[in-house]
Amino acid sequence: MKILDITRQSASMTQNDYLKSAKASGQRIMGYFCAYAPEEIIHAAGFVPYRMRAVQSSGTTMGDTWFSSINCTFVRHVFDKVLRHDFDFLDGIIFSNGCDHLRRVYDNWRFAGVQTPFLHMFITPHVINDYAQEQYHRECLKLKGALEQHYGIVITDQALQASIKLYNRKRALLKEIYELRKTKAIPIKGSELLTVMLTITSVPVENAIEILEQILSETRGRDISSPNDIRIFMAAGHMEEIDHLELLEECGASIVGDNLCMGLRHFDGQADETGEALPALAARYLKHISCPRMINDFQRRLDHVKQTCRDYAIEAVILEKMKFCDLWGGEAFIWRNELKKTDIPILVLERELYGGSTGQIQTRVQAFFEQVRNRQAHDDFVQAAGKSYRLK
Amino acid sequence: MLKPLEYLKIIQNRLLLIKLLGHFPRLTWLGLQLARPLYVDHETFLNRTLRYGMLTLGAGKLPPEEVKAYITGFNAMRENFKRAMNAKKDGVPLVWVQWILSSEIIAAFGARALNAELLNVFGNVVSAAAPSDLIAEAEAIGVPVEYCSALKTSIGAYVLGQTPEPDLIVRASQPCDTSISSYQIMEYLTGAPAFTFDAPYWKDEPSFAYYEKVMWDFIAFMENHLERKIDWDKLREILTTVNQFNFYLHEVTEMMRAKPAPCSMITLLMQWVMREITIGDPAITASAKEVYEVAKKRYEKGEGIVKKEKIRVIWWNPPFAFFTYIFKWMEHEFGAVVVNDFIGQCQMPQIDTSSNESMIRDLAKSHLYLAMGRQCHGPVEYITDELKRALEAFSADCLIFAGHNGCQHGWAIGRIFKDICKKAKIPALILNADIMDQRHMPEKEIKREITEFFRSTGLA
Repeated sequence: MKILDITRQSASMTQNDYLKSAKASGQRIMGYFCAYAPEEIIHAAGFVPYRMRAVQSSGTTMGDTWFSSINCTFVRHVFDKVLRHDFDFLDGIIFSNGCDHLRRVYDNWRFAGVQTPFLHMFITPHVINDYAQEQYHRECLKLKGALEQHYGIVITDQALQASIKLYNRKRALLKEIYELRKTKAIPIKGSELLTVMLTITSVPVENAIEILEQILSETRGRDISSPNDIRIFMAAGHMEEIDHLELLEECGASIVGDNLCMGLRHFDGQADETGEALPALAARYLKHISCPRMINDFQRRLDHVKQTCRDYAIEAVILEKMKFCDLWGGEAFIWRNELKKTDIPILVLERELYGGSTGQIQTRVQAFFEQVRNRQAHDDFVQAAGKSYRLK
Repeated sequence: MLKPLEYLKIIQNRLLLIKLLGHFPRLTWLGLQLARPLYVDHETFLNRTLRYGMLTLGAGKLPPEEVKAYITGFNAMRENFKRAMNAKKDGVPLVWVQWILSSEIIAAFGARALNAELLNVFGNVVSAAAPSDLIAEAEAIGVPVEYCSALKTSIGAYVLGQTPEPDLIVRASQPCDTSISSYQIMEYLTGAPAFTFDAPYWKDEPSFAYYEKVMWDFIAFMENHLERKIDWDKLREILTTVNQFNFYLHEVTEMMRAKPAPCSMITLLMQWVMREITIGDPAITASAKEVYEVAKKRYEKGEGIVKKEKIRVIWWNPPFAFFTYIFKWMEHEFGAVVVNDFIGQCQMPQIDTSSNESMIRDLAKSHLYLAMGRQCHGPVEYITDELKRALEAFSADCLIFAGHNGCQHGWAIGRIFKDICKKAKIPALILNADIMDQRHMPEKEIKREITEFFRSTGLA
């Protein structure tokens, strides 16, 4: 079986085979919600970090008894799965104040009486600066202390350093895979990469590294691009619907760059291996490419998308927001206005997690791509005509 | 087509009229009472100009001595608006301050503060449709429709030229994602340098210490951008006034435990609005003192704000900005007195003004106790514990939850809320409304739901 077939299969399951065998061998699993959760601390404590997801969700009926119709479908699906005991295999959960919807999962989880042995709220500041980094460092200490106390373990500096090395390796491999898409010949589709991301965020990091190494060796020299495809930058919050990306690809998208939770935000930047572990983690996690929850950083996100468009020859941007996501809603406003100035076409899509509406999405994406292609044709014509071209 | 700052100018003129009426509070009260049939029920083209103001002044159901206190505060707010509008002309920097914050430091720098959300409430002075028009404008330029309407109003107002251009912006990372997101838009649109008060999640010593660092950084930000130093003596003077203001309102909040309750909750809420607009101004402290004295007098005599108090209500979430008269209406129609609420109750800690360091430490801490921020920056217990205490300590008969359309984290804990009320055996009415945008649930519908609720629960 090829590695991308394995990742596809693993990505479509709440518990994949790697995770099941890790659990069977006595490893404990720790759920977490956000790209700002320091996986290295979880790993150094002897756990497999497991990024929470809603795959295999049967709906939101039970989740809706705790959340409302104006909450995002990610938390409603996840909580539905929680109440249906789909996550009973977890030995603990690290919650996040990533957004309003997510932070209330911590509250509802406790009030619903879900029996999970360890619950911890990990707080990430909403700004990026020196004292916020110190605060993040304190949160790392708190998490380390909470894990040590609850499980009667000691998380040594050596264990943390070893974890950092492993996670840096994972991040370096992901970076290498991402950069393969700079060339005209694209070796891996966006949808395939999403299966990889879903897999490597739910398996032991040692397995993740093996998977990524295999991906690198199997995809080198591969070319999945077609001449009419449009090179796309994708921005969104939580994204786990492989079908959805495949739909975009069927419309002619080649996703070659992103700012996604399950994308660049997961691996951007390395932790310093030479100094103290926790300050190094604080620096890495707080300074990686940010999500719109970081209130004082929108300019950097804009610079990043513009730079990536240049570096990866990107022709258009698709920004997706989940319904009721204020953070990406506001970001969409800024990007729409700003990218217009730099002449980068942008399509803002709104979707519900596993919400269907494929026909509508397809129509919008096709229409957008048609506009992009027409514009390119017009530009080509202008260039070919040279100085003699005049508008009549 | 609106002229620049047209709304603010209209508001200022109407507040000027109130100032004139302030010389004759008893006569004003009598006029409001006699004219009731002309404006109380609904807005018409005849009463549009003055209806909101007349209702906010209690429509003749607010005793004259409280009307006087309102007018004192309204004058201070009018001055604030005037100063903000003239800031550019006067060569004084104007700082937009997010409504969840407070502007003491800005005043101590000699800059002028403007509450960027002021038209949420004061837009209604122009007409009942004005805030909705501002919201519609924000949505029309691409601001997400699911944003909290409070912030959509601010963006709409700016885009339509109804808010003076800021030199600086001060914003917070709480109480919700709309605040976080919309203030990035405001920074983008205005191009003004922005400072963020990053609120910690917990209320413990490390969190207070973090917020204190934020406060010091804010001072550095101001020094850097205004190229001047903070005036510590001025800050001390302001905070002394703030302490007095908080003391009076804290006392009135506590007096509301008494049966019958000696004050109308809308009076405390108006004080909160005054705080939002122009904290540190001695005039609003004078207004708070007037409220305190009136309430104390009634409390000592065992008198209530209504002659026969029949229902004691806890009002949760902010009140309806477009229908401030709701509390007086409930008092008048049902003898139902709101005795505690989410916003108007004061829980501000006192600030030690003995040194520069103690002022900043306590000011930072106190900002985490400002209404709504106090409850919303952390776990649900910051809301539910306060609610449980209120239900018990204020001898509540029922709860009215003013559900706000754009409040996603609020709706996410609706089940927890319902369970608490059920356990406490307190009937609860959950209104599916929008506190800034009357198109979701107009005042007539609000009245109908409350009437049905009181009747169906046997309270009325």
